[in-house]
Amino acid sequence: MSRSQQCVQCKGRGFCGLPKCPITSRFYAKLKEKPRPFESYMGESPSVFIGSYSYPRVAGGPMMTAQADDPEEWVRKGCSIDDIVAMRSSTVRGSKTLNAAAGKAFLARTADSIQEVAISQKPIDIEVAFEKPVSFDLKFDGTLAPVGLSGEIKKMDVLDNAFVPRIVDKITSDGDLRAVDGMYELFKGGIDVHHIQNVLGAGLLGIEKNRRFVPTRWGITAIDDSISRRLKSEIMKYPPISDVTVFSGAIHANHIVCMLVPGDWKFEMIEIWEKNSMWAGDSDVIVVDSETKKSKNDYSPIGGAYYSARLAVLEYLSDIRRNAEVILVRRATKDYWAPLGTWVIREATRNAMNSQPVKCEDTKEGADTVTKFCGGDTWLKHSRLYTELRTQKSLFDF
Amino acid sequence: MLKAAIDTEVFKEAVEVVAAIVSECRLNISANGLAVRAVDTANVAMISLELGAPAFNTFAAGDSQIGLDISKLKNIVASINKADVLTLDLPDGAYKMELAYGGFKYSISLLDVNTVRKDPNLPSIQLPGKVVIAGAELNNAIKAASLVSDKIAFGINPDNETFYMEADGDTDHINLEIKAADLKTFIPAEARSLFSLDYLKDMGRVMSKAEEVEIFLGKDHPVKFVFTIAGGEGKVEYLLAPRIESD
Repeated sequence: MSRSQQCVQCKGRGFCGLPKCPITSRFYAKLKEKPRPFESYMGESPSVFIGSYSYPRVAGGPMMTAQADDPEEWVRKGCSIDDIVAMRSSTVRGSKTLNAAAGKAFLARTADSIQEVAISQKPIDIEVAFEKPVSFDLKFDGTLAPVGLSGEIKKMDVLDNAFVPRIVDKITSDGDLRAVDGMYELFKGGIDVHHIQNVLGAGLLGIEKNRRFVPTRWGITAIDDSISRRLKSEIMKYPPISDVTVFSGAIHANHIVCMLVPGDWKFEMIEIWEKNSMWAGDSDVIVVDSETKKSKNDYSPIGGAYYSARLAVLEYLSDIRRNAEVILVRRATKDYWAPLGTWVIREATRNAMNSQPVKCEDTKEGADTVTKFCGGDTWLKHSRLYTELRTQKSLFDF
Repeated sequence: MLKAAIDTEVFKEAVEVVAAIVSECRLNISANGLAVRAVDTANVAMISLELGAPAFNTFAAGDSQIGLDISKLKNIVASINKADVLTLDLPDGAYKMELAYGGFKYSISLLDVNTVRKDPNLPSIQLPGKVVIAGAELNNAIKAASLVSDKIAFGINPDNETFYMEADGDTDHINLEIKAADLKTFIPAEARSLFSLDYLKDMGRVMSKAEEVEIFLGKDHPVKFVFTIAGGEGKVEYLLAPRIESD
């Protein structure tokens, strides 16, 4: 495997064995203002973060920032990559050692206060004293949104009352409801994915004796995947869409082009990291993954982005109550200079699916349209599904 | 109307044969037995099943057509003990069919026939080549091919009298040749077509239980598999459209 191929699949998780990812650490130098160390924090906390390192003895705690923390909010406000990185640079991630073994999520005094932060839909005020002055260390990662500061918590108090939507209260109080069912109910109840992540992470979902803290990174993909599975079996009952349609949209230099073809659910995602883009080296790096109507077993080589994109496409199909075969191309250009998390792909795909679709005569014209939107046909020779669509005959052709 | 008793094993096999292609179908009931003909949503694969009255221990029926959720039925049948005898009961004009076995009574809701796709017409296709091989052998070839590729070619070479199956992956290649002398039946003809393993994998699993599978082939034409279940009382025909690479 070439170096850049490995980088594209690893996205900063340290597969190469170096102590620090050379790609993510170069963004560090790009930041002009680095905050001064401080010992305590009083202010808003919009969400919680649970680390995955040394699971099940993980570190977790509240995120501390007065700014919006919800990616869906960032998209609504039209924040640029620079805005987001600046915002996140001043965000503090508080941490306390937590035991993520089954059933441990109700214990511990800190757990209570973390859960209060997590369950609240609006940021709540907290007061935190740190063990040592917090200093600056911006971390990037392929799945998660970046964070600038982190500090170990000595003492934490919640000063405010949590604002809990009725459905969240109902689902989290139900100790007999499985976590997957809980997630789906919350999703159907209009709770955004970011808030479900918080609730799941803080160990507020699932059958009582199984409740545990869930590392944020795992939780994000777990939610994308579980909700998608439900939506997938739902759309399998619907009739196929009537025309070949192509959608296109972009957020933060991530271009999503999606072609829907009449037929039973099949999904293929082609991820193109353009030459000189973040994870790629001096040539384009392409990763492909796909699935059929059967459930997918192995973790995607594309990573969390695959599940996030699939969720957005399934949301659309479920809304229009139709089934389709889907080819989705993600093109990341060199302007996507810092990895912001898989939410970028979820939102970019949602953005694409909300765009005005281009109706095409057949798959050939559809492919030409995809090529036009992508600015190249590199995707074509990597797409197995397209070859299948073009070559598979129907019984009634004879 | 339908009132019948059948060995679970036999019924299970019949359900699995249909479930390999479609998730719902129309079930045609007549005094002669049960019959299904259905195509998948993409019109690529077709199943015809005729389960004759002698396959049942007791069988009494009048002409009717009902809509069945095959995937659901497959899950139910999977949970039944093989030794049990299953009784099917469907009164005239009922919306539910009753399955009884080993003390359990399972009543399953039927689908409105109008919401299930109409039975397709059998396409008229001339398939000149024919071979007969063991179902297990066919399934093994399909499984082997799926390790290297997503498609497999079936063909007959009339010159050296062989039947072959081959799969080409990006990097690997797999080939199985069987001489006419080792086949139960061999009718030579120039034949070679390419098929999607996506479909074949499910069909292969079902066919692996059949002692003999008749394979009808043509040049860039669909393939037809014919085999029997229920000790010869059930006849199954699968038809699968090819993939054509040169266009």
